[in-house]
Amino acid sequence: MSIFTPTNQIRLTNVAVVRMKKGGKRFEIACYKNKVMSWRSGAEKDLDEVLQTHTVFTNVSKGQVAKKDDLSKSFGTDDLTDICKQILAKGELQVSDKERQTQLEQMFRDIATIVAEKCVNPETKRPYTVSLIERAMKDIHYSVKANKSTKQQALDVIRQLKESIQIQRAHMRLRFVLPAKDGKRLKEKLRPLLKVVESEDFDEQLEMVCLIDPGCFRELDELIRCETKGKGSVEVLSLKDVEEGDERLE
Amino acid sequence: MGHTSLEKIIALQKKPSNIRNICILAHVDHGETEYLVNLIDSPGHVDFSSEVSTAVRLCDGAIVVVDAVEGVCPQTQVVLRQAWLENIRPLLVINKMDRLIVELKLSPLEAYTHLQKILEQVNAVTGTLFASKVLEERAAKDTEEQQPAPGEQVYDWSAGLEETDDSHLYFSPDQGNVAFASAIDGWGFSIRMFAQIYSQKMGIRSELFLKTLWGDFYLNAKAKKIMKGAQSKGKKPLFVQLVLDNIWSLYDAVVTRRDKEKVDKMVTSLGIKVMARDLRHADPKVLLSAICSQWLPLSQTVLSMVCEKLPAPTDIAAERVEALMSVGARRFDSLPEETQQLKKAFLECASEDEAPVIIFVSKMFAVDSRALPENKQRPLTQEELSQRRELARQRHAERQAANQSSESTETAIGGSAKASVEGPRREHFVAFARVYSGVARRGRKVFVLGPKYDPALATLPRGCFPDDAPPSVPHMASCTLERLYLLMGRELEELDEVPAGNVLGIGGMEEFILKSATISTSAACPPFTPLNFEATPIVRVAIEPKHPSEMQKLVQGMRLLNQADPCAEVLIQESGEHVLLTAGEVHLQRCLDDLRERFARIEISVSEPIVPFRETVIRPPKVDMVNEELGRQQKVAVARQAREEQSRYPEGVQVDPSGLVVLTTPNKLATLGVRALPLPDEATRLLEGNAELIRTMEQFNLMAREGRTMEISPKTLEAVRSFRAELASHLQGRRWRDAVDRIWAFGPRRCGPNLLLNSLEGYCRPSVWQCLEAPQGGAGPATPLTLRDLDSSVVSGFQLAALAGPMCEEPLMGVCFAVESWEVRPASRPDRQELGSAARAEEEAEAPAAGGGPGRRRGDAAGSGGGDCYGPLSGQLIAATKEACRYAFQAKSQRLMAAMYTCEIMATAEVLGRVYGVLSKREGRVLSEEMKEGTDMFIITAVLPVAESFGFADEIRKRTSGLASPQLVFSHWEVIPSDPFWVPTTEEEYLHFGEKADSANQALKYVNAVRRRKGLYVEEKLVEHAEKQRTLSKNK
Repeated sequence: MSIFTPTNQIRLTNVAVVRMKKGGKRFEIACYKNKVMSWRSGAEKDLDEVLQTHTVFTNVSKGQVAKKDDLSKSFGTDDLTDICKQILAKGELQVSDKERQTQLEQMFRDIATIVAEKCVNPETKRPYTVSLIERAMKDIHYSVKANKSTKQQALDVIRQLKESIQIQRAHMRLRFVLPAKDGKRLKEKLRPLLKVVESEDFDEQLEMVCLIDPGCFRELDELIRCETKGKGSVEVLSLKDVEEGDERLE
Repeated sequence: MGHTSLEKIIALQKKPSNIRNICILAHVDHGETEYLVNLIDSPGHVDFSSEVSTAVRLCDGAIVVVDAVEGVCPQTQVVLRQAWLENIRPLLVINKMDRLIVELKLSPLEAYTHLQKILEQVNAVTGTLFASKVLEERAAKDTEEQQPAPGEQVYDWSAGLEETDDSHLYFSPDQGNVAFASAIDGWGFSIRMFAQIYSQKMGIRSELFLKTLWGDFYLNAKAKKIMKGAQSKGKKPLFVQLVLDNIWSLYDAVVTRRDKEKVDKMVTSLGIKVMARDLRHADPKVLLSAICSQWLPLSQTVLSMVCEKLPAPTDIAAERVEALMSVGARRFDSLPEETQQLKKAFLECASEDEAPVIIFVSKMFAVDSRALPENKQRPLTQEELSQRRELARQRHAERQAANQSSESTETAIGGSAKASVEGPRREHFVAFARVYSGVARRGRKVFVLGPKYDPALATLPRGCFPDDAPPSVPHMASCTLERLYLLMGRELEELDEVPAGNVLGIGGMEEFILKSATISTSAACPPFTPLNFEATPIVRVAIEPKHPSEMQKLVQGMRLLNQADPCAEVLIQESGEHVLLTAGEVHLQRCLDDLRERFARIEISVSEPIVPFRETVIRPPKVDMVNEELGRQQKVAVARQAREEQSRYPEGVQVDPSGLVVLTTPNKLATLGVRALPLPDEATRLLEGNAELIRTMEQFNLMAREGRTMEISPKTLEAVRSFRAELASHLQGRRWRDAVDRIWAFGPRRCGPNLLLNSLEGYCRPSVWQCLEAPQGGAGPATPLTLRDLDSSVVSGFQLAALAGPMCEEPLMGVCFAVESWEVRPASRPDRQELGSAARAEEEAEAPAAGGGPGRRRGDAAGSGGGDCYGPLSGQLIAATKEACRYAFQAKSQRLMAAMYTCEIMATAEVLGRVYGVLSKREGRVLSEEMKEGTDMFIITAVLPVAESFGFADEIRKRTSGLASPQLVFSHWEVIPSDPFWVPTTEEEYLHFGEKADSANQALKYVNAVRRRKGLYVEEKLVEHAEKQRTLSKNK
């Protein structure tokens, strides 16, 4: 390279390509890395911070610009900025490493938060802190799946965590009232679902206060509703049976 | 004293008049530990002032050490105050005199004035303590009298100070309670020593010397008389001439000029012998200390001063006894007669067997089991060995059972000799105590009285002895004294008995005593007044084990720490955090080290504790961010913003400009209109304060719904009635017309400071105030049945919404949701859509009572058709209500509420400015500032967000070099004025802030921090500037 030769090319760096197929044609736009997701979530409001150039290409890496005819045929407009916005909103793109990383991190924390909310230390009946759960999740090498809901994954994590630390789902406290004749029959069916029976009162009707695993709630509800044909009732006294207030260690 | 045999000490212990219990108090680095005297020594750092408290309590006298160069430092003031509060007599030692000579190179005369100044400073501190006490007493007397005759408004400016004699309080060399020393060179003297030397030499009475050696006196050489007025006549004061000059010339000869001949002359004139080796030593310091330690031996000086000036245990002051025995605000006279008789035993300090035993334990300290004398250097018998092995095996088995998965790093027992010989390493607690009366004998049965024990409440028969079966009296236990120790520095020597007036260690008490206690053979003995701690625990940190499976160990370790440290506190918070409170950063560090290495023996991590927030709405502000009135004409960007806002809401949600949100459930069966309103502050506070009452009401209503009744005491009913009236008085105005009677529910958790209001026309439901009303037959006639059945779903939805707000999922506070429309269309045909929505309802399966809502499901298949459709509809309604509440909340001006501490700071005038600096840096606000009567201290009251309080105490201490000490107590919730989602809208705001408003937004900062912690979405750009990213090539 001795003499600077001017070229009529504008070289782009840090390109993230967003593609969209419309009207049988493929369109691409050139964006900056790590910016498209911010635009889609609404955090980035300045279009110039997202687009490298307000041009629609058929192939960004080759520098082939899309033809005006094709554009107006496919999009019904020839306003490039408008088309760019459409492609930005609906096109497909390769998620960059940084974007993916933050997303996974966020999900990881979200899962830990859900687990911490739902679970207690069975010995103290007190919740674990989120940071402790996070550490425990790292210890069991839990990897977050981006395409599964965090709630679903949280339930999965609880199961796995049970093997390494003392953890269980916070019990639900229920009270149900059953008519006397159903009571005796149903009690045996309900027995495996109940964790702790706190009080039992059997005179005209069977009244029980008990703790159950929240996962069994639907099953139990169903059972009572169907078996008693609507005469029994279930009432949730508290969703989470946890110790309240601060405790001084002495 | 280090060489005194154990027998000798035991013999000495029996003579109470020959005992001095003293402690050494000093500021950090004033050389308090350089002594070799066997005393209770206390650390000088602020954070450990609790240790000082425990030491002071057990002593009769104290030696306060002050640096000759630095003078009175903050901690000196603190220890003087503590000595004062405990009524013990202090002695002053001015240490590091050599620095005046060698470092500062003062002339003897200058040194004299310097020393005078230091004495004045110390006396000034004592003086203020005295003055404030006199003023307090006087104020108490004034309030007692309280009959200001209008004619006699003669103000007594003397304030009673002159009337009270205080001369004995002050330090003065001629009183014999001041010594001058240089511990490093091993010399020290009091005036008395020089007085003796010179009275022999010059033939003047030593009493006269004692009086004149310190002060404005000089020696008239011709007349051989001591005259007054040295200063005015330009003569050297006696102290300089006779004392300081000699010391200075010695230093001059030995250290500065190293004049051999002169040294020899001096040595002979002093009549002491110095070894030839010392004379030839290259380091002059060696020679110096050789001479000084013979001429003015430090230990003797201090010892003789201690013996002469400090009281023996037998001379314990009556008023100190009273102060010790009267708990809290109770006066001594009000104690039972039997208890008052014990005072005699105190004063006598008798060691007879009949005398009641009174022992006070001021702290528990942990000792490694190997350091205990019974475990030391004694070959174990075969039997013991096997016993221990068995024990160790058991413990190991337990441990393994407890955490099977965690790999135990402990040495495997499997018959390995090492483990069994070493024995289980355990912490033993030894109680640090003093016998005030009677004899502590091994095997004696005693009562252990906790700090809250009250002799008046214990209705024990006269002459009840602890040998009897332990009576069940609160805060009282009986046990046997098992092990008594003599404390010799780190060493413990086992003793069989300890007579009155001695300090001792008691082993095996950890089960009975937490931190401090009183031990006595008489049940009538009152517990001693709690220790005065200068520092209260204020530094809060959250502690977690590195490995989550070690939680149990951590809890156990924290329990031990709590017992071992008088000033540390540990607690588990509702959030599950284990919080450790310590007096300061240095104290914290020590506590953590103790936890790691001694008590828990696990790796721990320390973090800032989680700070709670609340979310609320406020009335729309009248002015904008630049204090311009908000008018229609200025809103440049309002139109744009409104459009944006509309796009925020998904389909099926309509928000009208007044903030009414109308939302339809996904199956189009139910429609709900909700509006959020801010509650008045007073109402919020009222609701918050009456959570217990509301819970009772809710319970009643729950029962009532099942057709049963609950008995409520008339007192509670009265409380409910007044609560209702008060609430009504706070909810005034058109908007709140009979709002109180329309209250649908409280939330979150059914008792929180938020309201759900029934603003529907024609919908009647049982009132929340049912317990006040006479039971009436039949509910409102016009209520459609379906609505009544779904009532609880709406409540549950509200509870969910109130539990986690839209800003950062923190609970709401002071928000009222008014339900203004509610329609449920009966499902005429099995809608296809229902299936789709069923999936959604599935997700809410657990929601029915989330937040503790009364998710009551009646099994009757009435309502909408089909058994299965019912569940989903109620579930959908819960979700719909929740969403509607959230949108309604967002439609108003939302604000974050921060928890606030009130903070009381005591500071001297000179550091006031820096205190203000630290406060304002941390968003604190000063409420008041006043001067404490009789002192030069200011008391500043301020409020400070809890979120900003981490490290606050430490910072303020650092910046004011310990002269200000803050006290933090949670006080209230406060709305943060800035809108977390604020963007400039008016022209002025654009001018002032620019389009993006980059200036820091406090509320947004908090919101984002919480969201990030919880793993919620944070609206933040991954990369701020697209062009400024690093160009990534293949090989990064």
